[in-house]
Formats: sequence, C-alpha cells, structure tokens
Amino acid sequence: MVTITINGKAVQANEGEMLLAAIRRQGIDTPALCHHDAIEPCGSCRLCMVEITKKEWEGWTRSVTSCLYPVEPGLIVSTHTPQLLELRKTILELYLARSSQSEVIQKMAEDYGITHSSFPVIPDGDDCIMCYACTRICEELGCFAISAVDRGHDKKVSGPLRQPPPDCIGCLSCAHICPTGFIKWQDLDSTRTIWERQFELLSCRTCGKRTITRDFAEYLMKKRNLPAAYFELCDDCKRTETAKTMGKIVVAAQEVLK
Amino acid sequence: MKYRFIVDPVLCTGCRTCELACAFSHARNLKQGRSRIYPLTHEKDKYVPVVCLQCDDAACVKSCMFDALRRNEETGAIDLDVARCVKCMACIAACPFGCALVDEVHNEIVKCDLCKGDPACAHFCPSKALRYTKIAVR
Ligand code: SF4
Ligand code: SF4
Ligand code: FES
Repeated sequence: MVTITINGKAVQANEGEMLLAAIRRQGIDTPALCHHDAIEPCGSCRLCMVEITKKEWEGWTRSVTSCLYPVEPGLIVSTHTPQLLELRKTILELYLARSSQSEVIQKMAEDYGITHSSFPVIPDGDDCIMCYACTRICEELGCFAISAVDRGHDKKVSGPLRQPPPDCIGCLSCAHICPTGFIKWQDLDSTRTIWERQFELLSCRTCGKRTITRDFAEYLMKKRNLPAAYFELCDDCKRTETAKTMGKIVVAAQEVLK
Repeated sequence: MKYRFIVDPVLCTGCRTCELACAFSHARNLKQGRSRIYPLTHEKDKYVPVVCLQCDDAACVKSCMFDALRRNEETGAIDLDVARCVKCMACIAACPFGCALVDEVHNEIVKCDLCKGDPACAHFCPSKALRYTKIAVR
C-alpha cells in the first residue's frame, strides 16, 4: 500500500497502479477516452491530466497523464485546478474541431461548458481520435489485424496497405472498445461485416440464434484448446441442455438410492 | 472449513424465487439486473436450477483473451472484471452450460459470482434447494 494525497485527502493506493485507478476509486470524475483496463495505457488522449507535486518539490508542480503515472509515496495530486480545467477545455476544443459530429465528444465538451470549437473545424474530420485503443486491443487478442497506416493528415487506422485486414476474425473487440463508436459493423442474418470484410456468424444448432463468427470460434478453439462442441448451441439452448442432463443424473441417482 | 454453494434439484419446486432474488440484488439505477440463475423444467414438475458451476478448468476463463474472468480465491467463484471486459462474447459462446450471459438492460456481460460470498438466491430459496453451507474440504 502507498499513501498519496488526492484533492487534499490522504488515500491508500495499490503499489504499482496508475494514478487514474486511484483517483477513480475515490469516485472522482476525471475524463479519459483512451484508457481501458484490458490494454496497456498509452496516454494519447491527454484528457486524464492531473497536477502532481511533493512536499520536497518546494511549490513546483507538474501536469501528467494520470493513466500513465504510477503512484508514488507522498505524491500530492490535484484533479480539478483552474489550469487543468483550462487545459481540458483546450483539448476538448481540439477534439471538437476534428470530430465535430461525435456525440461522445460533444457531451464531454458540454460538461466543460463548451458548445463550439475556437479552432477551425476540419471539414473532412471523422470520429477517430487516434487513440489506438482498437489496435492495442487487437494486439492483446494476438491478431494484429489493424494498425495505423500512412502519416500526417492521411494517417488512419486500417488493415495493412489500406486494404481489408486479412488477419481479422470479426470479434468486434475493436468496435466495442472504441471510445467514440467510430468503428462501424453490422450483423445481417448470418453475415457480420466489419473493416469491409464479411464473416460467417455461427448459428445455434437448435434455435438458430447467431452467436460469434466462425473465425473467432476457430481462433478460440486453437488458441485456448476448446472443443468445437462448446460452440454448437447458443447460451439459452445450452442452459436447457444442462437442465436435461442434470435432471437425468438426479433421476438416476434417486433410482440408485431407492 | 470452507463454504460451498449447494444446488439440490430434488428439492426445487420451480417457484423462481431465486431468479427474482438474483435480479433484484443486481439492480442498479432502479432497474433489475439479469438473473444469473435459471430454474428450468426438464420433465413435468421436475426442475433444475441452472447456475454457473464455477468449474475448475473453466471454459469461460480460457476463452477470455483479456483476462477479465478470474478465480476469486476467497469466494471460489469466477469473477468478471467489468472494467477489463470488451464484450466480445467469447465466454458466452464457450461456456458449455450457458451460464455466461448478456445483461441487455445494463449493457454488460454477467455471470454468477456467488454475490461475493453471500448468494442472495440461497437466502431466499423457500425449499432449501439452494444452500450456502460450511463444508469440510481437503
Ligand atoms: S460460466 Fe460456464 S464455464 Fe464459466 S465457470 Fe461458469 S459454468 Fe463454468
Ligand atoms: S465478453 Fe468480456 S469477459 Fe467475456 S470473453 Fe469477452 S472480454 Fe472476456
Ligand atoms: S486516458 Fe490518459 S491519456 Fe487518455
């Protein structure tokens, strides 16, 4: 355990954890877009900035990204100083200039009293804020299907060479982790479309309900040594089967005990 | 001595009180959670409360590529860490008993965590088909 001070209150933090986790545990609302517990922090959105100091720093302070800054004994953290609020407002205005249509950004900006950006709005801007949560989760999965391609203004996330990613398995982890909901996908009958690729969705052998993509199921079978039989039914039908099987066992046991 | 969650289908009358207890104890923002337990009938007047078995070599744990499902050594249950979950549905597809679920109201993946060591369903089961009792384990 490490003792730090957050907004004037002494609190306990776990050794090795980042400031953001300790701050959130206190129920303090710090905006953060690029953070997710399943991926390594990368500090790209800059919204989680906090001010830190220590007694021995003699009044000097530093602004750091709390998602990337490990807790240290004696750290004194402020999350809502006037300077930080200004900083966040500026960042949000920049996001608003790039992703003016994003509801998530609009809502966050509104919470900080901003309705429009003082920066020129990028006419062909989109909702991608270049945080790479999607590419990082895909790496975590072990697929490495998508990455940033090109540089500067043309930079974007896509499959290699701006083509549909051949290594994608259609699991949707990237789409679900994307903080602005920019990654679009669609399930239509037994076909899932994402990253301009089409995937076959497995159907429950009993009721026909669609589950995950065949590629994802096969990936899990191979990587985690799971039998194909586990993927044949949907969860509802598996519960029904469980009741039947257990029921039979109970009846058989009762016979034996008679 | 450790606690064990015991499911005794012979005593189950299919009253579904456990389902209600589960849904209410997982309520948030005045909305019920999805029940993690399902008393299902398999033959006329015969019921089995279907609930997570907290398997030793659990398919859900294996299937999660993001380590969101882990054994809680204190309760013995497999807990789902919502902050790590990306809702890929692998666990739901993989669990052979159908006990990893989507809570559509709260938009998250859920499974039985034995209420962190004090299962609400066992408290409310009127026929004692669900019990949480001390048991000697080697
Ligand atoms: S969710 Fe399924 S696989 Fe996981 S522990 Fe429960 S019964 Fe076992
Ligand atoms: S849905 Fe969540 S808990 Fe289940 S396998 Fe995917 S990330 Fe893990
Ligand atoms: S959450 Fe820390 S920089 Fe994005």
